[in-house]
Amino acid sequence: MRLVPRRKSGSLLPLEREILEAALGLRAAGRADFHGFGLARTLGERRGSRSLTAHGTLYKALGRLEELGLLTSRWEDAPPGGRPRRRLYELTGEGARAARPPASPVLRARTEPA
Amino acid sequence: MTPERVAGLVRRWAGLYTRRLPEPVARRRREELAADVHDQIAHERAAGTGERRIALRILSRLLRGVAADAAWQARRRSYRSVLRVGVGVGVVLPAPLVAMVFTDQVRWSLSDFALAGVLVATIGAAFELALQNAGSLRLAAALGALGVLAGLAGEADDAPGLVLLGLLLIAGGCAIGVRRLRTSR
Repeated sequence: MRLVPRRKSGSLLPLEREILEAALGLRAAGRADFHGFGLARTLGERRGSRSLTAHGTLYKALGRLEELGLLTSRWEDAPPGGRPRRRLYELTGEGARAARPPASPVLRARTEPA
Repeated sequence: MTPERVAGLVRRWAGLYTRRLPEPVARRRREELAADVHDQIAHERAAGTGERRIALRILSRLLRGVAADAAWQARRRSYRSVLRVGVGVGVVLPAPLVAMVFTDQVRWSLSDFALAGVLVATIGAAFELALQNAGSLRLAAALGALGVLAGLAGEADDAPGLVLLGLLLIAGGCAIGVRRLRTSR
């Protein structure tokens, strides 16, 4: 017997959707990849909050998005100044599709062929 | 409390909850956190934020993520811990709801229930970790230290919930420490 219902396959939590939307916004601004702290700042700015997403919450969500194939990641090659190397994340094509809001019925009717 | 000390605390906490995971998974989490904390300290200092404020902000991110850290670790080890924490929250939270039916002295809003849920889940997650590492003096010390810091941060920011969480973490740390000392005799 399952006490906690399994999350519907492919469904996204609000934070995961927020991350994809932020990543899409960064890509539109010409920044293809992003790292953990940079993302936490971006999310904070989008919410208008100075409080940053907690470490555990942020990296758990990033890991799940990667497992779902919506993000990919790689290590930074040569970090300057001896600072720790960052894990760089990038939106996949599927992630970009998931981040875009569904078109409204009116827009869909206009864009779909008759 | 300096940012570097809190960074050390983040490092030790990550070492603790990743220590039984496969090395590549554990190393990746530890390195990501090291980069994150380094970047935050550099960013906040460049913005002119005071040292104590930086330390508190990093500590807040650490403490607010404890439940997620434990859930993430449990997902890689077992779903049972998450289930137990969920059941614990489900058992504790109805108590004030029942009290509200019988007395006017208890009046909880939706946000009170949400906050209590987060607190109970965080405490449950910490105790799940304690169960998995029963008898570890290092864990007892780590929980006690987290509790003291949560208490100090809660006192500084006038957040009674954080103070309560700190007291419970200290109690948990003491319980584990006593258990370890008893079994070592």
